[in-house]
Amino acid sequence: MTCVELHESLVENETGSSAEQRAHLRSCPECAKLVGDLLVIACSAGELRAAHEPHPRVWKSIEASLRREGLIRPQRRSLSLLPSFGSQWSWARWMAPAAALLLISLGIYLNQHSRPAETTINVPPPVEKIPDTAIAGLNDNDLLEEVAQQSPALQEQYADNLKRVNEYIQDAKAIVDADPTDEEARRSLMEAYQEKAMLFELALDRSLQ
Amino acid sequence: MQKGFDEFMGGRTLQAAALSAVLAGITMTGTLLAQTHKEYRFNVGPRAGLSVNNPYGSVSVRPATGNVIVINAVLSSDKVEVDNALVGNRVEVVSHLLPGADAQSGRIDYEILAPADASVTLHSSSGTLHAEKLQGDVSMEGAAATVEVRDVTNAHVRVKTLNGPVTLTNVQDGHVEVDSLSGRVMLRSVNGPFVQVVSTSGEISYIGDFGDHGDYRFTSHSGNIEAVVPDSTSADVTVRSVRGEVHDDIHLQPKQHPSFPIKEGVAFVGTMGRAALSSTVVLRSFSGKIHLRKRAAE
Repeated sequence: MTCVELHESLVENETGSSAEQRAHLRSCPECAKLVGDLLVIACSAGELRAAHEPHPRVWKSIEASLRREGLIRPQRRSLSLLPSFGSQWSWARWMAPAAALLLISLGIYLNQHSRPAETTINVPPPVEKIPDTAIAGLNDNDLLEEVAQQSPALQEQYADNLKRVNEYIQDAKAIVDADPTDEEARRSLMEAYQEKAMLFELALDRSLQ
Repeated sequence: MQKGFDEFMGGRTLQAAALSAVLAGITMTGTLLAQTHKEYRFNVGPRAGLSVNNPYGSVSVRPATGNVIVINAVLSSDKVEVDNALVGNRVEVVSHLLPGADAQSGRIDYEILAPADASVTLHSSSGTLHAEKLQGDVSMEGAAATVEVRDVTNAHVRVKTLNGPVTLTNVQDGHVEVDSLSGRVMLRSVNGPFVQVVSTSGEISYIGDFGDHGDYRFTSHSGNIEAVVPDSTSADVTVRSVRGEVHDDIHLQPKQHPSFPIKEGVAFVGTMGRAALSSTVVLRSFSGKIHLRKRAAE
């Protein structure tokens, strides 16, 4: 599997857990880092309330960036909803949606700090709570089962660290809930999710061996 | 008669000791014979890349003279082999475990010489990952690996461990990111434009002076954080623990308008040294203890 093929396969399996993906990630640090970063984005994006529409200038900023990169062009006749992988910039095209997701997340976060009078806020429907044990398809039990199969000696260590990192996330969430405008608290929550993503990343690396 | 018995027992003891020594020597020789030494050499260009993936065993990287990467590998058994390749300007080394390999039989210890400006990426589950006197980017990752980085200048240093301890010594002008879930992280004379340590339950220990223009962030959920600095340190310091304690032996000049309410015993904000030439230091923990200490005069 080449880097391009891996990027294509992330559409169906963004965790990089298939056998072919693992084989490639084992030997390609760049792709391994990309998968790790995507896991972080997936973990933290689930926490953001999607109901607050970003300010229109956020969308204009995203559009301008994508036009400068040459990623938005006059629409061609195509039946595919996915970016083409026929060009040498295919990896950049897949980075664009990821970058757009990150920009959207940043826009939502910044919008929450804007004054209520400047935007029209629609009351969001209740957001379904996603348990920490299953965020972005990353199931804790799946992780422990994988580690148990690949390296039973480390299972207890992974279980212990998983418990600690879930406590970290819970504590960080409580601080953010108490004061949503606390920037340091939000940063702590992001770091807590990064810790969990790193745990999965290390387990994935371990399962490659 | 007693004397004769004693002499007999003394002789028997000596014989037993000699036999044990011979057996130990045979065992050691057998072990050494089972080990295989291999050496690989690669000519590379400037800013070469080096990637080593070694599940069991140590990896040590030191600077070479000239644009060459020399790999010395000690294989513990025939159940593991070294796969290596030169891809463009990048050397990739993988310890390939064969069927039946375990942590002992699958062990390889690497001693590697690489150009100082090479970018180095090391992976290991256990064992020691060591890099010194390099000027290229250093990335180390491993669940239980012990990580040591020393005498690195003007480089990006990135470390990730599950519970393996991390020690960084004399890292100057570095962009440093250390992430260890529960391993102990020790920083000695580490400074640069950006130094960040994130831990869930591991302890973070810093001995240094925070440079003069950097951004330092040490965060732990439940681990303790200790920073020992000299009187000459210039820094804007923010320390905050949600449920733990904070201690300040430095007596900072308080900030006039902190961005959050300061509750004594769990937070403090202030400046030490010259504000015009100071680093930003943020120490945060949820339930761990944070201690800012003054280094004793030498």
